[in-house]
Amino acid sequence: MVKMLNPTDIPVKQAVKYDDTPVKIMLYPAIIFMILGMTVGVFIAFNGFVYPDYFSGEYVHFGKIRPIHVGNVTLLWLLSANIGLFYYFVPRLCGVPLWSSRLAYVSASFWWPSLIIGTYSMPWGTNFGWEYAELPMWVGWLPAKFFFTAAFIMVAVNLYATIATRIYEKMYVSLWYTMGTMIWTSFTVLVGFFAINWVPEGISRVNVSFFYIHNLVGLIFTPMGLAQAYYFLPKLANTPIYSHRLSMIGFWSIAFVYAWIGAHHIIHGPVSQWLQTTSIVFSIWLFIPVWTVVTNLFATVKPHWSSFTQSAPVRFIMMGNIFYLLTCIQGPLMALRNVNEITSKTDWIIGHSHISLYGTFTFFAIAGIYQVIPVITKKPLWSTALANWHFSLNLLGSIPFLLSLWIGGFWQGMEWATWADGNTYAEFHHQLTRLSFVDTIASMHPFWVWRAIGGCIVLFANVLFAINIFNTIVLIPVVKPTLSPAFSKVQP
Amino acid sequence: MSEKHKGNFFYNLEKSAVITVIGVILLFSGAVTVTLIAPSLVDPTWTQPTSSYQVQMYEVADPNTYISSSQKGGGDLQFVYHITNDYSLMAFQESATMRIIAPPELEKYVTGADDPELKLTSKLLLLRKPLPSEPKQDFNASKAADALRASLQSQWEKDHPDWKKEGLNKPDFDIYELYASEGNEAFALAPSDAFVENWVDENYKIIDEKQQQPWHTSSGVIYILNPREYRITRYKFGNTEGWRYDPYGEKISDLNELKSHSLGFRSKKELIHHGEQIYAAEGCWYCHTDQTRTLIQDVVLNGSAAFPAPPSSANEYIYQKITFPGTRRIGPDLSRTGIKRPSRDWHKGHFWSPKTASKGSIMPSFQHFFDFDPRGTAKGTTGVPNYQFESIFQYLMTKGTRITPPTQAWWLGLDPINTKEIIEGKKKLP
Repeated sequence: MVKMLNPTDIPVKQAVKYDDTPVKIMLYPAIIFMILGMTVGVFIAFNGFVYPDYFSGEYVHFGKIRPIHVGNVTLLWLLSANIGLFYYFVPRLCGVPLWSSRLAYVSASFWWPSLIIGTYSMPWGTNFGWEYAELPMWVGWLPAKFFFTAAFIMVAVNLYATIATRIYEKMYVSLWYTMGTMIWTSFTVLVGFFAINWVPEGISRVNVSFFYIHNLVGLIFTPMGLAQAYYFLPKLANTPIYSHRLSMIGFWSIAFVYAWIGAHHIIHGPVSQWLQTTSIVFSIWLFIPVWTVVTNLFATVKPHWSSFTQSAPVRFIMMGNIFYLLTCIQGPLMALRNVNEITSKTDWIIGHSHISLYGTFTFFAIAGIYQVIPVITKKPLWSTALANWHFSLNLLGSIPFLLSLWIGGFWQGMEWATWADGNTYAEFHHQLTRLSFVDTIASMHPFWVWRAIGGCIVLFANVLFAINIFNTIVLIPVVKPTLSPAFSKVQP
Repeated sequence: MSEKHKGNFFYNLEKSAVITVIGVILLFSGAVTVTLIAPSLVDPTWTQPTSSYQVQMYEVADPNTYISSSQKGGGDLQFVYHITNDYSLMAFQESATMRIIAPPELEKYVTGADDPELKLTSKLLLLRKPLPSEPKQDFNASKAADALRASLQSQWEKDHPDWKKEGLNKPDFDIYELYASEGNEAFALAPSDAFVENWVDENYKIIDEKQQQPWHTSSGVIYILNPREYRITRYKFGNTEGWRYDPYGEKISDLNELKSHSLGFRSKKELIHHGEQIYAAEGCWYCHTDQTRTLIQDVVLNGSAAFPAPPSSANEYIYQKITFPGTRRIGPDLSRTGIKRPSRDWHKGHFWSPKTASKGSIMPSFQHFFDFDPRGTAKGTTGVPNYQFESIFQYLMTKGTRITPPTQAWWLGLDPINTKEIIEGKKKLP
């Protein structure tokens, strides 16, 4: 392979002074909201499923609490953390400070209140009603959705302007992903938040909604996560990226494929068959970007496997990479009509969304934070041992958590399929009288127990993470500034 | 980069960056055009209604059907039609035990029990118990009614000569007077909370001088059968003020009075819309899908013992502001609820305590859909259902009930797309 440009090649210019306060005001609250979001998730796992409706009432039932969990982990944690990490590595890849720290502060001052108030107002009935776009238009006099959109556009402007004023002429692949995701996100958010009310009522809006839902994952979290993986893995493993060209193929295939596949969320549903088929075809093409990313990251680490054993963040990225492979094998296959018949509308879907947003992109972001924290605080990480525990417990918890959802979901799908067993309607209906819908819910209970156990372990692991980061920030007095990452065992 | 171009945004972007941005935008807009914009233009079912029954239910029936609890709580709901002259279609049809007397100029609007053709009109006419009219009028309804009743009863006695020996009861024939109502609008007692309205699509005639509304000429029409004026009597019981239906009570002057705080009526349209908002805010859609998929298990799950439910089609949803197709089915699908669970009492018990109403259910209880019943006068074991309950109930009752007219309904086995034949393999998909 031709040796391509990568961040480790970039000469460190001592003259450039990066302002990391914007990174801090995005990252630190995001970590708090990760813990809160996961706590709410564990609460739901118990109060919704293991002991259904144990705490009952208007403001605590499942339908009111679930959007708090989703809003917390998708926007307040993952998206905010991603923006924070962008504020960190985009300037460093451009060799210039962030275009405007002040714009970043203004953006954050819109970002946090609108998201916090918007998300936590949902028990009082402000849910917008479209999945992943639950953030209310208005909470009282606060235009939550408008503020959030404005904040995001400010972020996009800031990052684009930073790239435009850069001094390194060549652009590393992470910058491509950054530029792509800023366009995609801005458009996707505008469509899912506002344009959905401009199209005809009914299934047109459903179609727009699924376009938004899928692109939120595919064109926001995926490119953001991959940009981080491509930046932080070479940094952490202290090795150049294996192939810049492969990463370019990945980028362009993502750009080509993702926007087409929204309708695969409603296969067998009330939308036109040709649209379903189109989305299925493009879903299968998703294998291309996935394999390029997975191959590239593995080939990068291959000569340096020792870094995997020595550094928890490298483990997070590589485990995230394996989860990414899994999620992206699942995704296209779930779009096939015959697989979809079994997996769709079951817990399998919940498992799939967790392996991507938690297993993959949360792992990437955590690795990024481990890399970033020593640099922005100018202190080494408080405890490497705790970081190792953090990874091990996260992995340990994610296995019962994800496996129970997949196995349980598949089991339930197979149970539902028994109603299609027979040749005449009388036979079909007889199957339904033998196994009613509520029976298929009851058979999920053991899986839900395992899901809750896994969730508890994951929550505990991330509490350790938060403690570690908190102590790093607060406890140790400032030591001599270091330009090399704290996880420096692999370095001489 | 040269000094000359320093600070120039586009120059600074560099060729590869420009290609990135333009390429991304081009690819993206191509996808958006085909997947978001084209479908509703190419596929007519995305925007055209399922039937003219669906259109009239949402646009004619819902905005003009009003519901209120009469402040006595419990199940004492009141249902009222808002009738407008030259708009609402009405039929005045006699039956074996119900007769209508009318002044000569109105007789043409009465459909006899044996008439092959239903007579409809949008002229503002109503029925009432015959009143003795003022002396100056030549048509005395009260006397005419007594005479008619006497002759009907003597006819009946002739037909059943041994009625006393056989232990039969002599029928007290219901006789109503047809009269032209003053003003441009009226309020009529609706017979029940039926979620299927009266519908006629053959053997009918609209007796109006000219066509009044475009929907009067569609392939079938929703009509109001035998409207009687909704009048009320207000009462005071201790500190409680209330009102009840009374055919001889006071008139309701206009819509404002009907919707006033003391009467508290809301149109079905408002309730359905509010129900949709509640469905969104309560997060019902996280557990319930609203689509019968084109899968055997779905049409069986939503079907009856004899018939499968037809799969959902795109145009079932066109009257919704928010549509909830759903991604997870922790509770059963709701797209055919109006047929599967049409009982208000069942829903009352179920929202109050799903775990007792449906054994094994993990649904949370929704007791905030009910008000506390301080006097304990409500019958039944639940609280007093409030507007939240009525809204969500009316919203659910739109599910699966409005696809085709009731005369061609799937729950009669008259499935237009032959779901049963297709899933049994006797017919291929079109």
